[in-house]
Amino acid sequence: MRATSVEGGPLLSVRNLKVHLRVGETLVRAVDGIDFAVGEGESIGIVGESGSGKSTLARAILKLLPNVELAAFEGEVHFRGIDLAGISERALRDLRRHRGFSMIFQDPLGYLNPTKRVGAQVAEAIGGESSTPVGDRVQKLLADAGLPSPSQVVRRFPHELSGGMRQRVMIAMALASEPVLLVADEPTTALDATVQLQVLETLRRLHRDRKMAMVIISHDLGVIAELCDRIYVMRAGKMVESGDTLEIFESPKHPYTAQLIALSTRRHAAPVGANGAFPSEASRPGAAR
Amino acid sequence: MLRFVLFRLLHAIPLLIAIIFVILLMLQLIPGDPVQAMVGDFPVSPDFRAAITKQYHLDDPFFVRVYSYFLNLLHGDFGYSYQFQKPVLDLIVETAPRTILLTLVGFLIAIPVGVTIGVISGTTRNKAVDRFWTSATLIVYAIPTFWFGQLLVIVLAVHFGWFPTQGMGPLVSRAHGWSWLLERAHYIALPALAFAAYEGPRFARIMRTSVADTLGQGYIITARAKGLTRWAIIRGHVLRNSSLPLVTVVGYALGSALGGAVLLETVFTWPGLGLLLVQAVRVRDNMTVVGIVIFAALAIIVINLLVDLLYAALDPRIRTGS
Amino acid sequence: MSELAAPSAEPRPLARAWRNLRTAIGNIAHTRHGGAGCAILLLLALVAVFAPSIAPYDPLQQAQASLAPPSLENFFGTDNIGRDIFSLVIYGTRTSLVIGLGASFGALILGGTVGMFAGYFRGAVEAILMRVAELFQTLPVIVIVLLTVALFGSNFWLLLAAVILAIWPAEARLVYGQYIKLRRMDFVAAAKVADLSTAHIMLREILPSAIPPVIVQAALDASVAILIEASLGFLGLSDPNMVSWGQILHVAQDYMTVAWWTSFFPGAAICLAVVGLNLFADGLNEIVDPHLRGRGLQP
Repeated sequence: MRATSVEGGPLLSVRNLKVHLRVGETLVRAVDGIDFAVGEGESIGIVGESGSGKSTLARAILKLLPNVELAAFEGEVHFRGIDLAGISERALRDLRRHRGFSMIFQDPLGYLNPTKRVGAQVAEAIGGESSTPVGDRVQKLLADAGLPSPSQVVRRFPHELSGGMRQRVMIAMALASEPVLLVADEPTTALDATVQLQVLETLRRLHRDRKMAMVIISHDLGVIAELCDRIYVMRAGKMVESGDTLEIFESPKHPYTAQLIALSTRRHAAPVGANGAFPSEASRPGAAR
Repeated sequence: MLRFVLFRLLHAIPLLIAIIFVILLMLQLIPGDPVQAMVGDFPVSPDFRAAITKQYHLDDPFFVRVYSYFLNLLHGDFGYSYQFQKPVLDLIVETAPRTILLTLVGFLIAIPVGVTIGVISGTTRNKAVDRFWTSATLIVYAIPTFWFGQLLVIVLAVHFGWFPTQGMGPLVSRAHGWSWLLERAHYIALPALAFAAYEGPRFARIMRTSVADTLGQGYIITARAKGLTRWAIIRGHVLRNSSLPLVTVVGYALGSALGGAVLLETVFTWPGLGLLLVQAVRVRDNMTVVGIVIFAALAIIVINLLVDLLYAALDPRIRTGS
Repeated sequence: MSELAAPSAEPRPLARAWRNLRTAIGNIAHTRHGGAGCAILLLLALVAVFAPSIAPYDPLQQAQASLAPPSLENFFGTDNIGRDIFSLVIYGTRTSLVIGLGASFGALILGGTVGMFAGYFRGAVEAILMRVAELFQTLPVIVIVLLTVALFGSNFWLLLAAVILAIWPAEARLVYGQYIKLRRMDFVAAAKVADLSTAHIMLREILPSAIPPVIVQAALDASVAILIEASLGFLGLSDPNMVSWGQILHVAQDYMTVAWWTSFFPGAAICLAVVGLNLFADGLNEIVDPHLRGRGLQP
């Protein structure tokens, strides 16, 4: 089922989303009334500390919640005008396989099958027909994701690769379906500092070249600032502030946002716009984390 | 990988030695006449008694006895059965293959059934289905093996007359070729079914747990995110990763099959190692009993070692090292 | 168990444990499986205790017609020498329960002690004790029991000892694991600082916390013990002076082609006892280890 994007409407719109989980005896209001939207080709960031519910939000939107007891799931999620709450499994699969949305996760070691070769796992993600043989397409995807010598990587098992390479494999898998929306949950958190910068650069390049909308989720404002046009600040399941990246940094309205900024600018170069344009201060080389 | 192998060997050999030592110690502690204890319910003449005492070092200190027993073992001498008038090893060689056959056919039934039930149970979203299969497994698990065997005989062999009640074959068999095979199958059917009921539930339970664990892993979410169908996920990720623990369990079960065989071979009068052990115990032919037990220990330790090696070979994380 | 101490005094750890146990049993009865298990066990216990009143005949009495099918006179029929099977099954309950509970208790004491020492003291003690446990776990349970019976005979006490010998390693492993886990906790460190004796720490401090999963294993051990005893009886190797379900099945072995009742009823009794104990253990487990399990594979 192919839907054309609603004229003028956002690519992804989320309204009053609530996800309440039951963990043992307690009720956890992970996502408690969230609104946000992503336009075509836009790059937005969702920032919050751990426990703010941002990961749950990401998974809930794409219907990728793990097997937990859901106490409540309310609200609307529209992708290209299609209501994701009511679509069939088949339609959802189609969206995931071709020109829909993809997701990459924080822990590439846990999120890659340890007993399957990397090439096979990427091949699985390729949807849509093409005359190019699968092997070639896999290697091209790995190259796009920034991996050197893809022909060798293809035969490796996840544990044989470094953290950065594994994350790139995840990116390659995500790109396989030629998504118009990529959701990245803490894409660089598990990586070393230098590798982080490289992966961020890769994501930025992909966003630019493929005109792919991105939702970047992170507790690290520095990462978000590098990649995103707009930011949403999340705390305890609710959005406390939202706006353009620069505006937020220059004049945060909510005290919590100000706190987050203070914590991050202590350790980062000044934020640049997602297009890599105008620094407002001299960048400090080598972010010390 | 090589280090892994050596390590396991280094562990297995002392274990075997220790088991043999403990068994011989138990032999030593038997009250009463040591000659009679070894020979069983078999009358002994004075000459015979003297010969036995000399041969098995019954008058010598314990350690001499142990030493000579080990020496004999290394030469393939598991003792001599005065009841059956044969070396114990011969008896074992004669009967063990039948037990192995029964075990393998039983597994042939138990593994597919167990895996299927385990996968269904573990992947279904329907609580009722899961609960049904779990309860069914628990009930079959709780049924005493030998009673199940008897019930099979009573219902399927006696009442319906579909199968023979006991034995490996008719007293006189004139079948050839395909009909011979069919006849064998006819006789092994019920014992194998009983055996499958004995081991099957454990396989189903392990598979279910393993599947449930696998489903909790991150890469399953990744697989869903890729838009794979349920079946593709089960086939490509769940089955393959959940099967590893099953391999170990099946392997270990193979080694300890003697436990079930002892009971089932008695019910069906299947002339295997288990029945031999029971018969030897009944007539107090302790040489044979000890010989069989030590053989079983050896088999178990070797099989467990092979299973561990197989596991290491199958799991890429161990095979290629990280 | 009265707490006579002044109102401000803390109940002793043992009293605490006892109270926890009573609450636990109450909780078990409320879980689905546990409740059923408790009911079955209660039924069996009552049958065992009131056997003389319930059984219509003396089980060893050979008055009736032999191999008679179930009837109003003989609910479960008779065996090959005219004994009433219903009475045999009733009296057999006593044997099974005694052996089940006795062996389980024995394994608990033996395995528990071994595990306790191995887990608390670590080092060489741990190495030796756990290796010994491993030794006994290598061979199938019934093979160990057969070996013991072959060498030493099969009167009741030897039988009990043989069963205990076969099942103690599982309990030992469990207790061992518990002690390793618990000895590093704060309350143990506090006890050491307070200069309490080792025995006190092991028994009064750690033991009450270690108990819950141990009890689950004990229930399972009891069911295994009953199965083993029945197996021996079936093989004709148990104490001939006892009345046991397994022994009836031994008789059934020769007559199952003509007298299905000799096999069906005693076997059903064994099944009932085992199911009851397993359900009880399940109920216990639910209380002891409540964990969140997701449901299946989602799209």
